[in-house]
Amino acid sequence: MRDVTLSELERLGVEAPDVDATFQMDEEAFRLFYDRTARPVWAYLARMTGDPRLADDLLQEAYYRFLRARATHDDDAHRKNYLFRIATNLAHDARRRPRLDAAALVDAAGDAADPRGRDVAGDTARRVDLGRAMSRLKPRERDLLWLAYAQGSSHGEIAETLGLKTSSIKMLLFRARRRLAALLREHRR
Amino acid sequence: MIECPREADVFEAVAFGRWPAHAGAELQAHVAGCEVCRDVAAVAPALHDDRQALVRASHPPTAGVVWWRATIRARAEATRTAMQPITLWQGVAAASIVGVIAALSGGLWQWIRTTDRVGALVGLFVNRHDAAAFASVGLEQAVFVLLGVVACLVLAPVALYLTLSDD
Repeated sequence: MRDVTLSELERLGVEAPDVDATFQMDEEAFRLFYDRTARPVWAYLARMTGDPRLADDLLQEAYYRFLRARATHDDDAHRKNYLFRIATNLAHDARRRPRLDAAALVDAAGDAADPRGRDVAGDTARRVDLGRAMSRLKPRERDLLWLAYAQGSSHGEIAETLGLKTSSIKMLLFRARRRLAALLREHRR
Repeated sequence: MIECPREADVFEAVAFGRWPAHAGAELQAHVAGCEVCRDVAAVAPALHDDRQALVRASHPPTAGVVWWRATIRARAEATRTAMQPITLWQGVAAASIVGVIAALSGGLWQWIRTTDRVGALVGLFVNRHDAAAFASVGLEQAVFVLLGVVACLVLAPVALYLTLSDD
């Protein structure tokens, strides 16, 4: 569809919609929510896609979709789960274009030295191993493991985020964990 | 066995940075002998540390920038939605013009056929002996056909342009 021109807007007398009515929260509430969630969501997107620049784009898209959604949330935890659900779907769509590159992601995090002064070379090697192992897992397994062990989400929260039954999470997580543990041991040998 | 009651203890030790050095000998001994907890101890620290490193490395735009971009996009989408009926009517107008041109062309064709001008032209093509008569009568008849062609080729695009132009 062609772009809308300014003269068309004037002719139509179209006024800018009230964003508070368009979005599900006002700017102040959004700022608070964003400051709490942006970094973890970016980390999730970066690990799931393996591409930090793509994660930047998807982050903006995730928050836009979140704001435009007509969903109602009981509390902040549900709101966060919903945001992660949007991020998961975006990462799944992006994964159709193969991009997982463990080294690129480690490079992106390379300049952020651990303040506790740990073994940087060892950490980098472990993260490269993790990236390679993760790239050999199914997308759903990656999501499950990240949410459970990086985000620390409960089974109920994981089920809500991934649109699965809570009862099935235990078994799915067991299988995914078993696979990743085996891959990590394989890489370390 | 797909779960262990001590799983949460291992994860907690990882999450609070106690694993493995400060996790306690009892928990370490349990992990050494428990298949489920051994997997958790292999996977959880790697993912936890990876997340920490990525969070430290992340430079997301400020909330204000994200809000501003979202606002601009929402307005553009709202405007596009408001424009949709106009676009529809422009399409209807274009289709009407095409219909009118088709009807005029059909009428012109009928007129040519009923007045047997085509027959006269064909007769002249077949019987070329009288070149002067062909030139005079043929050109005279061709004027009507040319008018129709000009209407279709020139006026129709101009009319379409005027209808669909933005301003």
